[in-house]
Amino acid sequence: MNENELLSPHATKAIEYGIAVAYLLLFIPFWSALNAPVRSRAVSGAWRFADWFYVPEGIFLHKGHAWARPEPAGVAVGLDDFVHDFVGTIEAVDLPTVGHRIRQGRTAFGIRAGGKSFELRAPVSGTVTCVNERALADPGGLHSDPYGAGWLFRVRPDRLDPNLRSLFSRGAARRFLAEATESLYLAFHPEALSLAQDGGLLVHGIARELDPEHWDDLVRSRLLTH
Amino acid sequence: MSEDAVARGTSGFSFVRERLLLGLAPKEYLRSLLTPANVLITAILAAGIPCIVLRFTKGLGAVTNLSQAYPWGLWVAFDVISGVALAAGGYTVACAVFIFGQKLYLPVLRAAILTGFLGYVLVLVGLIVDLGQPWRLPYQFFLTPGTTAVMYEVGWCVFLYLIVLALEFAPAALEWLGLDKLRRILGKMTIAIIVLGVTLSTLHQSSLGAFFLMAPGKLHPLWYSPYLPVFFFVSSITAGIGMVIFESTVSHRAFQDQLDPKAHVDLDGITLGLSRAGALVLFAYFFIRLQGLAGSGRWDLLATGWGAWWALEMLGFILLPSLLFAMAVRRADVKLARAAAVVTVLGVLMNRFNVSLIAFNWTLPNRYVPAAAEVLISLTIVTLGVVVFRWIVNRMPVLAGHLDQRGSR
Repeated sequence: MNENELLSPHATKAIEYGIAVAYLLLFIPFWSALNAPVRSRAVSGAWRFADWFYVPEGIFLHKGHAWARPEPAGVAVGLDDFVHDFVGTIEAVDLPTVGHRIRQGRTAFGIRAGGKSFELRAPVSGTVTCVNERALADPGGLHSDPYGAGWLFRVRPDRLDPNLRSLFSRGAARRFLAEATESLYLAFHPEALSLAQDGGLLVHGIARELDPEHWDDLVRSRLLTH
Repeated sequence: MSEDAVARGTSGFSFVRERLLLGLAPKEYLRSLLTPANVLITAILAAGIPCIVLRFTKGLGAVTNLSQAYPWGLWVAFDVISGVALAAGGYTVACAVFIFGQKLYLPVLRAAILTGFLGYVLVLVGLIVDLGQPWRLPYQFFLTPGTTAVMYEVGWCVFLYLIVLALEFAPAALEWLGLDKLRRILGKMTIAIIVLGVTLSTLHQSSLGAFFLMAPGKLHPLWYSPYLPVFFFVSSITAGIGMVIFESTVSHRAFQDQLDPKAHVDLDGITLGLSRAGALVLFAYFFIRLQGLAGSGRWDLLATGWGAWWALEMLGFILLPSLLFAMAVRRADVKLARAAAVVTVLGVLMNRFNVSLIAFNWTLPNRYVPAAAEVLISLTIVTLGVVVFRWIVNRMPVLAGHLDQRGSR
């Protein structure tokens, strides 16, 4: 047996190990690139409106535009920024009392804007453990931080996992808000759709602009409490 | 006629009209079938079905170029071996949703399972057309079980998996028929059925590669490897991902009226999530394939024409779609993701054709080229699959949403 024959299995093994090490080394930048923050979302359909909305991580949206955020002290509940832009400045909030039981999808609390009252549906089921006194005292300031200081009350959930599964989060939440906006355009100003992708913002209190006479019905239809 | 009989008669009429004829009167329904796509389908079936009849009346020799040297031709390469790989979307998505808890993919699960189910039915049809004596197909299970043969395992796995896929898809059919009680009973067995399906798929997807382990002299060394079962299994995952992206895009465009507008399915998010998985699996698959070549040590063959063909498969249809998927995820570019999915599916087709046909018997002077009738019969089988898929999606709740997705678990 000459020296080359003796070494050949070792050479093969060296190449195999080399490929394995190369894979692991290249996997690091590949994984990093794959998981880096996304640069921009391709504009298609309702996504043209997606940049108008910001839904923080951990927020779960209900179709009736109330949100839920699981926290160690319970699940915080609030209103998404679409509601604030849609109804305009909120004049008063009507919150459930501590100890009251609410159920996902059932009406649970209310707001007053433009002299009209609106009910909203609960995003999760559970027992109310505390209410945000600052929201009661200064409802007009809620829109400045709808997902933070703008929380309304907390609940001790009783079916959190199944409840969260039927809510929108992250990309799905932004898409939901974008589609809600797009459907408004389609209903009232379809001609403005082509301009909308160039950027813009919802007018504060746009429901009153879109349908001055029946704007309260329009709001209730969007809050699913018609 | 009694009132009950009238009610039954009306209900039967309503079932045929509402469920089968899409709410149209028979004449309206027949008129709605007059579309360019249906004319093309009719033309393919009109040409292909007589060829299938000819195959069964006159034998394989009448319509194929198969020979003793090439007993496996286009039907085995495309309808059976490629078909099984392309039907892998069902177990890939079912595993992601029910075993890894990735509920994001639930909206595309039913369509993926239906594609998988019909894919395996077509594999069976292809096999029946290809086998010289198809009525002997059940012999291997009961009369002459070859318990040490790879074919024995593949036969059982495909047979059982076909039943599992039927059970996985059954909830949609039961909802369509209004048999809610039976659907709920089946719903309780979901996890067990899914686990069985994933297990069977892991076994037979890899075993299809193991077929070729017994032919090291016939398969070109660049494609032959003791790791062939691993190659086949890993690449079936990439095929599944590619097919689900491709099929969900086409379905959501072709069957827009079937979508539930309130469901807010984030198809772009699903596509990009699948692309992330596709990028990672293809990246790993590329290096696993390199290991195969390192094991044989036949680097010298890369300088030949076969080497160029092998490099095209490796670089153009494995590494390139991996990078395209990664770029699509980085840029959130859904169109690029769809393009990468098409390249991935083509790459798996290319690999299965290379292993079972092109690089197989590579030393023989007279190579097999499929006859026109073989191509036509394959096309007919695929067309039948598309027709049945369309018929089901137009009637059953496939794209409209999963019960679990609608929160009525």
